[in-house]
Amino acid sequence: MTLTDLWVSFPLIVLVGGTLVLMIGVSIVRTHKLALGLTLLTLILSVAAHDIALENITTGYELFGLLNVSGIQVFFNVLFLLGAIVTALFAYPYFNERMERCEEFYILLLTATAGAMVVAAATHFASFILGLEILSISLYAMIAYPRESHQPLEAAAKYLVLSAVASSAILMGVALVYAASGTMAFAELNISPESGERSYFLLGQALICVGIAFKLSLVPFHMWTPDVYQGAPAVVTGYVATVSKGAVIALLINYVQATEVLSYTGVFYAVVFVAVASMIVGNLLALLQTNLKRLLAYSSIAHLGYLLIAVLVVNTARPELVLETVLLYVAAYFIITLAAFGIVNLTSEHATEDNEQMEAYTGLFWRNPLLASVLTAVALALAGIPLTVGFIAKFYVFAAGVEGTAWALVWALLIGSAIGVFYYLRLIYTMVKQVEPGAAALPQVGTQSVVAVTVLGLLIVVLGVYPTPMIDMIRTIVQASGF
Amino acid sequence: MATVIPVDMWPFLIFCVVVFGLLGVMLVASWYIGSKARHGGAQDIPYESGIVPVGEAEDMRLSIEFYLVAIFFVIFDLETIFIVAWAVAFEETAWLGYGAAAVFIGMLLIALLYEYRTGALDWGIKRRVYEPGRYAKVDSA
Repeated sequence: MTLTDLWVSFPLIVLVGGTLVLMIGVSIVRTHKLALGLTLLTLILSVAAHDIALENITTGYELFGLLNVSGIQVFFNVLFLLGAIVTALFAYPYFNERMERCEEFYILLLTATAGAMVVAAATHFASFILGLEILSISLYAMIAYPRESHQPLEAAAKYLVLSAVASSAILMGVALVYAASGTMAFAELNISPESGERSYFLLGQALICVGIAFKLSLVPFHMWTPDVYQGAPAVVTGYVATVSKGAVIALLINYVQATEVLSYTGVFYAVVFVAVASMIVGNLLALLQTNLKRLLAYSSIAHLGYLLIAVLVVNTARPELVLETVLLYVAAYFIITLAAFGIVNLTSEHATEDNEQMEAYTGLFWRNPLLASVLTAVALALAGIPLTVGFIAKFYVFAAGVEGTAWALVWALLIGSAIGVFYYLRLIYTMVKQVEPGAAALPQVGTQSVVAVTVLGLLIVVLGVYPTPMIDMIRTIVQASGF
Repeated sequence: MATVIPVDMWPFLIFCVVVFGLLGVMLVASWYIGSKARHGGAQDIPYESGIVPVGEAEDMRLSIEFYLVAIFFVIFDLETIFIVAWAVAFEETAWLGYGAAAVFIGMLLIALLYEYRTGALDWGIKRRVYEPGRYAKVDSA
C-alpha cells in the first residue's frame, strides 16, 4: 500500500471513520440532533475528500486490484453522498415525530452509502459482492426502521427474501464464470469462442445479468418494486430508488465496458428484451395506480429501461456519448426522484401513515402552491417535457439510441414516453382540481424539508433551461477518464 | 488469464441423476408404504401420549435474550474466523496485515461498546426499560 493508495481511498476512509465516530457518539449520548450533525459532517467531509482523491488520479487509479477510481467514479460517489445528505435532511423531521430511537438510521445511511461507493468502483467480483451486500443489508434495516409499524416490516421482509435470491443468482453466476475463465477481475473475463467452457460461461453471465436486473427492478424481475416502495418510509424509498440503483448502474456500465459481455448476441438480445419490456410494462402498469408511491415505483422501472438503452449501444455508439448519457441521466434521475419522494415524505411528517394516496393531493395547487409547483416540475421532468432536466436526459438517451442505430429501442422509448405522459399529467390534473368541501385538511409541513424540496425543484427547472454547465462538467469528466 | 483444466462432466451428471432418483424414490415410496395417519382423537395433540397442553402458544412469552445470545454467538464466531485466518498468514502479511487486523479489531471493540451501551448485553432486568418514552410516539399499528 502506498501513500497514493491512501489518498485515493480517502473519501471511503472518511466515510467509514465517520460511521465509527457516530457509533461511539450514539453509545455515549443519544441525541437526534447530534447524530444528524455528525452524519452531515461526515458526508460533507467525504465530498471534500474527493478533491484530494482527484488530485492523485490521472485517467483512472487501480486500488488493490479491487477498485478502479476515475473521474466517473468520483462523479457517482459525489452524487451518492449528496443523495445521502438530502436523505438525512428529510429523515430528521420524519423520524423525530415518530420514533424515540432514531440515531441508528444515520449509521445505516452511512454504511449504505459506503457500500454504494464500493459497488460503483468495483472492478472485481469480490469487491462487487462485498459492496452490494454492505448496501443491501443496510437497506433492509433502513426499510424496516419504523419497526412498530406493519407496512415497513412487511416491505423489508419481502425485500430481504427477494434480494437474497438475486444475490444468490449473482453468486452462482460468478462461480460459473470463474469456473470457465479462472479469474474474477472484470478486465480479464474473456473466453475464446471455441472454448469448451463457453456454455457455462454464458450461463454464468446470464445469472449475473438476472441479479443486476433484479437490483435495477427491470421488468421480468420487477415484482418487488411497488410493494417495497409503498411499504418503506418515503425517505428510504427515495434512497433505494436513487443511490442503490445508481450504484448498480455505475457497476453495470463498468462491467459492460470491461468485459464486453454485450458482444455475445444471446446476452445482448436478452438485455434488449428486458429494456423494451421495462419501458412498455412499467408505463402500462403505472397507468393503473392510485397510490403515488406505487406510481413512482412503476415510473422508475420505466426510467431504468430508458437508461438501459444507453448501456446497450455501448458497442455501436461512441463510448464518450454513452458515458455522458449515463452520467447525465443518473444525475437528472437523482434530482427528480429525490424531489418526488421528498414531497411525499414532508407531507407525511406529522401523519401516522405516509401521505401516499393520489386523492390526498387533490387541489394541492390551491392549498399549497409551492409544493404543488415542485410536484408539477417533478411530473413534467419524469414525463420528459422540455424546459426540465428530464427532457435533457431523455434527449441524450434518444441521441445515443439513434447513434447506436438501435431502432427498436428508440421506438420503445417513444411509445413508453407517450404512455407515460398520460399518468404524469393525471397527477397534475389531480392537483389542479378544486378541493371538495369537507375534505381532510392538508397535513402540516415542516420548513427545513420544504427548503430542500424547493432547491431540488429549482434544480429541475434551472438545469432544464440552462443545462450547459452540467453538460460541460460531465464532458470534462468523461474526457479526463480517457474516453 | 489462468489456464483452465478441462474436467469430465459425466460423473457429476450421474451424481445428479442418482441424487434426484433417490429423493424421488424416498418421497414416492414413503407415500405408498408408510402408514396413513388417522386424524381425530389424540392424534392431533402435540404430545400424543404426554401431558395435555394448556392455553395458547400466543400467551407464552419467551425472553428475547435467547435470540440475542444466538445472534451474538454467530457474530463473534464469524469474527474469530477472520482473525484466525489472519493469524495463520501473520508472517506473510507483515505490518500491513497487522494494521488491517488492528483496524478490524478496533471496529469490533466499537461495536461491542455500542452493544453494551444499548443494553443488548444485559441479561434479565434491562436498564433501557427505565428510559422514558422509548416506544414510538405515534401508535401506527
